Amino acid sequence: MKNSFDEKILNEANDWKNAKQKVVLATVIQTWGSSPRAVGSRMIVNENGDFSGSVSGGCVETAVVRECVNLIKEKKLFKKIEFKVSNESAWEIGLACGGEIAIFLEEIK
Amino acid sequence: MKQELLKEIIKKKENKVEFAIITNLENGESCIFEKKKPVDKNFEKHIEKINFYFDKKKNGIIEETNIFIETYIRPIKVIIVGAVHIAQYLVDFAKSLNFEISIIDPRGYFASEQRFPGIKIINKWPKEAFKEISTNSQTALIALTHDPKIDDPALQYAIKNKFFYIGALGSKKTHENRCKRLKEANIKDEDIKKIFGPIGIKLGGRSAPEIALSIISQLVSEVYKK
Repeated sequence: MKNSFDEKILNEANDWKNAKQKVVLATVIQTWGSSPRAVGSRMIVNENGDFSGSVSGGCVETAVVRECVNLIKEKKLFKKIEFKVSNESAWEIGLACGGEIAIFLEEIK
Repeated sequence: MKQELLKEIIKKKENKVEFAIITNLENGESCIFEKKKPVDKNFEKHIEKINFYFDKKKNGIIEETNIFIETYIRPIKVIIVGAVHIAQYLVDFAKSLNFEISIIDPRGYFASEQRFPGIKIINKWPKEAFKEISTNSQTALIALTHDPKIDDPALQYAIKNKFFYIGALGSKKTHENRCKRLKEANIKDEDIKKIFGPIGIKLGGRSAPEIALSIISQLVSEVYKK
């Protein structure tokens, strides 16, 4: 059996939009190897870089926030980004767990 | 994604409809997919594959396409018998876990809206109360009153309707007596054995939130066994 463990991110996205914020929705669309969050996991980011939800276990969120804010600045509607395992120091953006993920960013209009 | 679509998705979730969000990753267009309803023109070409993923409740990029599908299934129903202190904590856990809760308790002073805001409360005896809830093999029962008058009929109903999880609060002794009563009521041994009693996994704590945690942990682990 499966349960729909809904994290209410979409509800929150709607609240943010109603509060006249610009909102980008980030969704995990593909994973390879051991990645902390399943396909369909979500986070939202506004133009100030405030965020809610998660797409990894904290490994790539900072970079995702940056990408989302850039998406708003550049007035793009959507973008696909990927993160691979980092060979550099632990401070480098990347998944320490050795996984890879692809994330789809889209602004809510 | 347009905010209108977002609002529609939220509404469908609230109404517990099974649907999927499909997104074309090449042009960013997305729409709602529902079984047996016409699909947006942009996705018509891949309708067979979309249906296949939808039936399997799979999330992901559909093979050989640029379509991402996310399926939404109905939440699992959990019926709590006994609007007791433990139930108040169970409701909190169940909310974050997205279970759909109904509470049955014929005792009005327990089952009040004030104690359980926003939860479906049925202020009737189990036999009558079950007429108001549709149940199936994906429903769970948590019996908390340890009063045979209230718990037993609910347990019998859950057994007959093949609920995937049936648990009953009470000590080993209470549970032994319960099993005896169910046997006398002609419930099969194999069915009686399926009842989790004493309910919950062993955590050690005895406070209401700790017992609620032990029950909800057992329930979640059973979800993935079925």
